[in-house]
Amino acid sequence: MTTTPVTTGTTGATDRVIGYSRAINEALAEEMRRDERVWMMGQDIGRLGGVFGLTRGLQEEFGPMRVRDTAINETFIVGGAAGAALAGTIPVVELQFADFLFTAADEIFHKLAKWRYMHGGQFTLPVVVRLPSGVVGGAGAEHSQSLETIAMHVPGLKVAVPATPSDAKGLLKAAIRDPDPVLFFEHKGLYRVKGPVPESDEHVVPFGSARVARAGNDLTVVATGLMVDRALAAAEQLAPQGIDVEVIDPRTLVPLDIDTIVASVERTHRLMVVHEASRTAGFGAEIATQVQERAFFSLDAPVWRVCGTDTPLPQDPELEQACIPSTDEIVAAARALAAI
Amino acid sequence: MTNDPGPDREQLEREVYRKVVTIRFAELRIRDHVEKEGFGGFWHPGIGQEGLQVGAVSAMQDDDYLYYAHRGLGYAFAKGMPLEPLFGDLLGRASGSTRGKGGGTVHFADASRHVLGQGGTLGSSFVMGAGTAAASQLLGDGRVTVVFFGDGASGRGTWHEAALQASVWKLPVVWICENNGWALSARFTEQSPTEHVADRAPAYGMPGVIVDGQDAMAVHDATAEAIDRARRGEGPTLIEAKTLRIRGHYEGDRQPYRDDPVLGDEIPNDPVHRLGESIPDDVRRGIDAEARTQVEQAFDAALAAPRADRSVIFEDVWA
Repeated sequence: MTTTPVTTGTTGATDRVIGYSRAINEALAEEMRRDERVWMMGQDIGRLGGVFGLTRGLQEEFGPMRVRDTAINETFIVGGAAGAALAGTIPVVELQFADFLFTAADEIFHKLAKWRYMHGGQFTLPVVVRLPSGVVGGAGAEHSQSLETIAMHVPGLKVAVPATPSDAKGLLKAAIRDPDPVLFFEHKGLYRVKGPVPESDEHVVPFGSARVARAGNDLTVVATGLMVDRALAAAEQLAPQGIDVEVIDPRTLVPLDIDTIVASVERTHRLMVVHEASRTAGFGAEIATQVQERAFFSLDAPVWRVCGTDTPLPQDPELEQACIPSTDEIVAAARALAAI
Repeated sequence: MTNDPGPDREQLEREVYRKVVTIRFAELRIRDHVEKEGFGGFWHPGIGQEGLQVGAVSAMQDDDYLYYAHRGLGYAFAKGMPLEPLFGDLLGRASGSTRGKGGGTVHFADASRHVLGQGGTLGSSFVMGAGTAAASQLLGDGRVTVVFFGDGASGRGTWHEAALQASVWKLPVVWICENNGWALSARFTEQSPTEHVADRAPAYGMPGVIVDGQDAMAVHDATAEAIDRARRGEGPTLIEAKTLRIRGHYEGDRQPYRDDPVLGDEIPNDPVHRLGESIPDDVRRGIDAEARTQVEQAFDAALAAPRADRSVIFEDVWA
């Protein structure tokens, strides 16, 4: 894979520009090298290297016992991971599409989320469930959803939503090292996006620390996943019009770094949340509520949401795009909100 | 062979008897408490099924893993958990193994004794048990996982997913079905196209073994053989222990749906009596007296223990 060295001011280290997929693959390989208890299972992850190619080369390096192909059996993949964690291993499992968390719902929302609690804190369940998420182009209503809010609603699960290659790698490494179960929502539409990623094996992005993707003074936009890039593109369009947008990517929804969002709103006095997930009872509603609870008198305008439609996603790629926020919609909404 | 007569076998039988009779006294003490004092939860009695539970678990090594089912205390006690934390869980006391989150038939656990707990959604332990066994296979720790379930849970789809993968991977896991004929109000015979749960085993390429669940030592021997097979790397076994549901689904269930003779206090083929037959009377009476005292003391201690503080609500959500 071609890599281009670049230097970032933040780390001072030499970064390479690599893809989001490659970043995830590196995180998996490095963590499996670091800790023999880490292993993986899922459908087509071994011989094929994953339907999206994320686990390519890992079975060759780590063998068929640590990178295991399963049958089509999501309750086993997740429930088995829970059981394997109780026996002292660290399973990193893949559901081929995030939508399949509904086929393993009992295992995710009851077993992973509650086993430790129900049994008086005697066990830890260090499990990572990798969930290829979001609209990717014609995958249909059962292979395209953004379900992170549902994961956020059930206590006991941590929720990561990386938007850049660097965060994909750093958050995945943090997830694997976390003693609690983590639902790791990788956006399928970002798999081919490239960006700078630190070379270091210790590039670990802590959960609960939002990233200010763009600093600005007039309006705070909170966005995740694919919507971060669209919010940033919108901000670039709005800047010449005199609207200086701050874009915040929470990076994890559980734990949620609400402090960074509130601090931003206290400066900009306006908030808009952009998410691909359906509008009703999405995480935008939660962020809006928490911000008005803590910073109501800092707000000069209502909190707005720009979200996915309250519909299933049609399979047609054009119709599908019409169901999730576009850069143009974000620009229009931001301009209207800034004018209030 | 495990069923050879001899001093070891005699010692084993007495130990199984001691545990079975202890659990019988515990069952009766809990029933008495539920009837007289009421209860902050549901108690799913396991009376009459103690023999198969203790017999099977007695074939496990200390570091083998256990997922128990919801009917009684025999499994966990046989794995070495003391009575007091078990009663503490039932009574919602801070002295319970869940430190007070319990109440009724609960999620007692003992990580040090590899009692891994139970899922409240029946049948969820199938996939978890297979996963635990997969971890043992990966680590090469030589441990076997034993998963108990009822004939009702045998209908869950998780069984299919777990059994298929466990058999393909030759995982060290043993499934033990306590077929007591009733899944709450549903007769097994009305919910199964085959006469036995074990009939399904060949479809998964694993042995299906039927054993008399009232014969604790027969269950022990069948389990020992399945555990040996699992430990040798030859994969899972499905054991079906035929038993009877003596009481309701939960204590207090009036069982209006039940058209077979409701058994009440009569336990046909009682595992306690069967085990006791081979033990000299004076020895048996000594064991009984000790067991009764142990149960009374542990129950009294649990009753005297404080209920949990509300702060436990917020504990153990995160590691």
